[in-house]
Order: sequence, then C-alpha cells, then structure tokens
Amino acid sequence: MNIKRITFWTIFCLIIVLIIWGLALSMKKSANLPSGLVLGEAGTVTTQDHVEGPADAPVTIIEYSDFQCPACQYYYTFVEKLTAEASTTVRVIYRHFPLPQHANAMPAAIASEAASAQGKFWEMYDLLFTNAAEWVDLSDASPIFLKYAETIDLDTARFTVDLASSTIRERVISDKNGGIKIGLNATPTFFINGKAIENPQNYEQFKALVDTAAITGTK
Amino acid sequence: MNNLKRLLIQPLLPVRNSVTVLVLLVALIGFADATYLAFEHYQGVVPPCTITEGCEDVLTSSYAIVAGIPVSLLGAIYYFLILVGAFAYLESKNEKLFRYSLYLTFFGVLCSLWFVYLQVFVIHSYCTYCLLSALTTTILFIIAILIFKNKCQPRSY
Repeated sequence: MNIKRITFWTIFCLIIVLIIWGLALSMKKSANLPSGLVLGEAGTVTTQDHVEGPADAPVTIIEYSDFQCPACQYYYTFVEKLTAEASTTVRVIYRHFPLPQHANAMPAAIASEAASAQGKFWEMYDLLFTNAAEWVDLSDASPIFLKYAETIDLDTARFTVDLASSTIRERVISDKNGGIKIGLNATPTFFINGKAIENPQNYEQFKALVDTAAITGTK
Repeated sequence: MNNLKRLLIQPLLPVRNSVTVLVLLVALIGFADATYLAFEHYQGVVPPCTITEGCEDVLTSSYAIVAGIPVSLLGAIYYFLILVGAFAYLESKNEKLFRYSLYLTFFGVLCSLWFVYLQVFVIHSYCTYCLLSALTTTILFIIAILIFKNKCQPRSY
C-alpha cells in the first residue's frame, strides 16, 4: 500500500470518526439543556387540579402529560416511585397536554376526567398508563375505557354520558390551553416548584432534584 | 429479464467521479442520520413527545427493533458499507466492492418502502429522520440503477 492510499483511507476514517464524535457531542449538549420555562401564575395549584400528596409538601411537581406519549408512560413509573418514597415531602399535580399526533390522547384524558367526576381520577390514571399498549393503537378506545371504569367500580352509565360531555372535554382543553400559554411544546414536562426541569435520565436523578428542592424549599 | 441480469452481474463500466462523489455525499447524510438515531436509542432515555414531531412514536414502536438490534444501527451499518464501496472505487477503482455496495441499495430501498408503509398505515406517525433516510436510500437506488444501465460513464468514455 503506498502513501497516497494510506492517506486517502486515513481521511475516510477521520471523516467517519468526526461525524460520530460530533453527533455524540451534540446529543450530550442537547440532553443537558433545560427548557427554561417557568410556570408563573400557572404555578398556583387550584381546586380544579388533580393533586396527589400533602397540601403543605415543600416540593410541588406539576406535570404536563399525555397518556398516549411513550415518554410519559416511561416517566409514570418514576412519578409512582417518587410519590411512594417521598410521600410527605412531595405533591404531584397532573395536568393534561394531549398532543395532536396522538389520536387517543384526548379520549384518554377525557376518560380520566370522567373518572374524576366520580372521584377516581388517580385510579383511572394508573390504569391508562399501565395498560397503554392495550388502547393506544385502537381506532375507538372507548370500550377499553369502559372496561377500566368497571374495574374501578365506577357508575358506568354516568361514565358513558361523561365521555361525551362537553364540560368534561372543556376541562381537558383548559389544561392544554394553560400549557400552550406558558409555551409548552413537549411531554412530559415537569415543573419543580414552578421551574421546568430537564427530563432526568434515570430515577436517581429525578429523586436528587426533588431532594435538593426539598432542602432549598424555593417556592 | 436476462438483459437486466446481465447488466447486474457484469463488471461496471467506468463511472464518472462526480457520480461516485454524489453517492458518497448522499450516503454520508444517511450515515449521520442513522447514527444519530442509534445514539438516541442507546442513550436509554425515551425522547419526549413534541408538538410537531412523531419521532418518539415511531422510534419506540415495536417495529424499531429487529432481532434485538435497533433499525437505526442496521441503517448506520448499511450506509457505512456503501460509503466504503464508493470510497474504494474513488480511491482505487475497486469495481467489485462498489458493485456489491450498489446491490445493497436494492435491499435498502425495499426496507425503506416497508418503513414508510409502517409510518403511514400502521403507526400513523412520521419521523423526519426516518423519512430523510428513506429519501437518501431512494436517491442511492436511483443512482445505482443509472450506473447499472451504463448511464454514468465519463464523457470521454
């Protein structure tokens, strides 16, 4: 092999390595960028909100989420673990942000609100997230939602009426509009004491963020 | 049919350098695109769902992994092989290696068709990165056909 050939192939390898290195670097950077969003007035927890955890908890997590979003399903397990492990220091508020590309996100959000009308929002929330694979791809997911309503002992006649209720729908849209107003563009977006966080890479990171917020107690 | 067979198996007539460079550039775009998605997969973090994109639905679907290997990684390897073939031809007129890498584009375009079909009719979501790869593969396929049909010889040939 002469010098010219070696040089050629070295350049080729260098280009490939540079591409891979550049991509790895750019991904690391983008993963570390918090969105910089702040909740402002939307940080106030209202009676309309779905709250899990004590009202005087030093840490308030507000989550904007979509039942059909795979990332939201992934982070659901983090939130569950957190509310179990830090039940006295954390309260979680769930707000709807169904994305347009997810055909069943809006119906699922409505189903959770229909359950909420009978005081069982979190029970339906659990079922929707843990069984997402069962309903996300259906052209009509309402029979599945009705099955969940039976599972958690809801009045199914009332539930069916509520699925079509414009008031219930408005309730979901009001959450979504709130999200649009603060400039939300992705789900899940978590706000810890009013400030958006970058989505943690694992549960330990999530817990650490909450622990820090509990110590500093910045409201 | 026999004519096509003959065209495919016979050694390539000389190919214009500009055409080989075009193959290299298009394959480089495809390689960067597929590598990016493969990185995302191995980061282990589920990408958030954004208002304008459907990537997360496509990338987290059951079709994104074949025999435990992410499709994006297979794509990156595919583009890498084409890059090696095109570069070997540019560097030392290695006709055989280039021809074999061009055969790969036939397989690539079939896979791309399948993935576009899945996005349109099964997943009902579109991933820009996946569509970009379908585009680069289609371009490579068209160039390969032109090369096999002896439409890419140097002007002086």
